[in-house]
Amino acid sequence: MVDQTKRVPYFFIAPAVILFAIFTLYPILASLYLSFQTYEGGTYTFAGLDNYTRLMGDSIFWTALSNTFFIFIFQVPIMLILAMILASVLNSQLLRLKGFFRVSFFLPAVTSLVAYSLLFSIMLQNNGLFNEILSYVGIDAIPWLSDSFWAKFSIVMAMTWRWTGYNMIIFLAALQNIPEEMYEAASIDGAGKIRQFFSITVPSLKPIILFAGILSTIGTLQLFDEPFNLTSGGPGNATMTLGLYIYENGFEYFDFSYGSAIAYVVVMLVAILSYVQFKFTGDK
Amino acid sequence: MKKIGLFLGVTALALAGCSGNDGGNNGDNNAAGDNGGGEETQTLTAWAWNINIPVLEEAAELFAEENPGFELDIVETGTPDVYQQITTGLQANGEGLPDIMLVEDDRLQGYLNSFPDSFMNLSEYGFEEEHGEKFPEFKTELLSLDGDMYGVPFDAGPAGVFYRVDLFEEAGIDVDSIETWDDFIEAGHTLRDELDVAITGIDVNNDDGTYRIMLNQQGTFYFDEENNINLNSEESVKAMDVVARLDEEGLNENLVGWDAWLGGLANGDVATAPTGAWLTGSLIAQAPELEGKWGVMPLPAMEEGGNRAANLGGSNYMISANTENPDLAYEFMEFFSTSEEVQLAAMEGGLFPSLNTIYENEVFTEPHPYFADQPIWEMFAGMMNDIPFANYTGDYAIARDEAETAQAEVVGGMDVEEALQSAQERLENRIK
Repeated sequence: MVDQTKRVPYFFIAPAVILFAIFTLYPILASLYLSFQTYEGGTYTFAGLDNYTRLMGDSIFWTALSNTFFIFIFQVPIMLILAMILASVLNSQLLRLKGFFRVSFFLPAVTSLVAYSLLFSIMLQNNGLFNEILSYVGIDAIPWLSDSFWAKFSIVMAMTWRWTGYNMIIFLAALQNIPEEMYEAASIDGAGKIRQFFSITVPSLKPIILFAGILSTIGTLQLFDEPFNLTSGGPGNATMTLGLYIYENGFEYFDFSYGSAIAYVVVMLVAILSYVQFKFTGDK
Repeated sequence: MKKIGLFLGVTALALAGCSGNDGGNNGDNNAAGDNGGGEETQTLTAWAWNINIPVLEEAAELFAEENPGFELDIVETGTPDVYQQITTGLQANGEGLPDIMLVEDDRLQGYLNSFPDSFMNLSEYGFEEEHGEKFPEFKTELLSLDGDMYGVPFDAGPAGVFYRVDLFEEAGIDVDSIETWDDFIEAGHTLRDELDVAITGIDVNNDDGTYRIMLNQQGTFYFDEENNINLNSEESVKAMDVVARLDEEGLNENLVGWDAWLGGLANGDVATAPTGAWLTGSLIAQAPELEGKWGVMPLPAMEEGGNRAANLGGSNYMISANTENPDLAYEFMEFFSTSEEVQLAAMEGGLFPSLNTIYENEVFTEPHPYFADQPIWEMFAGMMNDIPFANYTGDYAIARDEAETAQAEVVGGMDVEEALQSAQERLENRIK
């Protein structure tokens, strides 16, 4: 009987483990194997590190990498800071209609990626809503999707709209765990709201900032839907991202091995960046 | 222990339920086959989308009259999803693919070159010998690999310039005087000066369709007939130069994406669309209120007296080599592609058939009410024999990527020859 009860937990986790093995573990390992092969004349053959050395000389890969980092460096901090500010405002005792505001800011996170990208692409046309509003205040039309700088900017803007509310909710949950007494004590000591934010809120949120930071890093390195729907990676390759380049290699050029190699570069980058974030923000 | 037993029981039931469903489905299919035509099942599966669905349905009904018990199971999948599924299926050695699938011209050679064993060789059934003459050469060549045909031609995209008759009249432009792309650009200036309307709505950063039309009309493409990369050819420079001038001289409205483009055509921001005949269906659906205000003229030539026929887009049906009913699949597709009745049904949806035996049909000379009673089908049919073959090769997708990058660079201010030369070099590096 004792042996039997020891086995019970395994029955319970079996469905999850089996599904994980089939749909996550197997593809991960298979694509690693694939990245060391090439496809020629209908069959795969082992090619060693060929795909990886090819990456080194591929200018589009480097462009995609630098675009991804450009978006990462600007978008993630802007979004996390905005989310944190919004969360503290929404956590304030003074604010009315909290529920309404929380729902409003969170709503973008539940919209379909394709639907929102399409809407943004309509609003960002040369004669679209954004430029029309700008024309009322006397600003010349901005080539949102057809200039290489503005196209990246548009993607950062769209992503920020989509994901700020999501991170805000994470921060909000964490804020509610900070004891009110700490703020009371601080205000008795004469600390203003700003000082309280930097001396109490930010340090208390540290593990959550790390968590949101890593999630956003992974999300940005895999960025696909926005450039795919908004700009198709253009103009030129100005908004080509690693995620989009993986897709194009697989589904447009039928080069799944090369796509897998790029995917593994993304895996390495996520690992390195997450490690760095742990080092800087994590407790020793 | 009882609880564990219960849990396992439930799991087992659930699993049994799953397989039970599968069994049920198979049973249904078999039943359908048995009811109809005896022991062999008579059902084929097809993947297609949009206006192609009613054509397939009609064809299946007609085919079933001669072949009792025949059933066509059509799965509607939109682009680009259908290509992701086809690509995935081909990667899995044809597993999960339908018997027949619709494939557009610009995808076809890519699939055929990468997965030559996954498609039925129709030449083995004698399709080319028996029916090759009924289709334009550029289509049969598109469907061929090493001299064998791997698909049946369906619709074509003979290109013309769709234009707003009313705007042209208002601006005082005589359509018949537009014979070359230079004339076209001049008309663009008139439209801009008189009405402040753009002549084209090309998505200059992401779509090189107009450039491709001009390559094709000059008898070349991204690749020449010997598969050499041809982006830096004289023809290519001339074609790209037209796009550059349209943009530089402020005659083009940069509409990003298909929806924005159709919107621009419907709301009068843009006065013309140089594109394939298939625009007809979308235009009528998008801008029904503009009935009688559109017309179609032949493509302007690059030089006076030059070729004015080209093709953009079109589609074909391919049969999976894995099909369980190869003979039936072939017979149905043979019927589909050569039946005048089926092809006329396709025309009702706005598709232009490549089957040339029907061009004598009275439908072609009928005036088209949407186009101010212009018999546009007759005009398109007249171009079919003059359309040069476009050598897509298996590397079309990569070549297109580089051509579009070059076009974006040109629009961004780079010299045309320089941009095309560096695209040529990048492409040579990518496909060696």
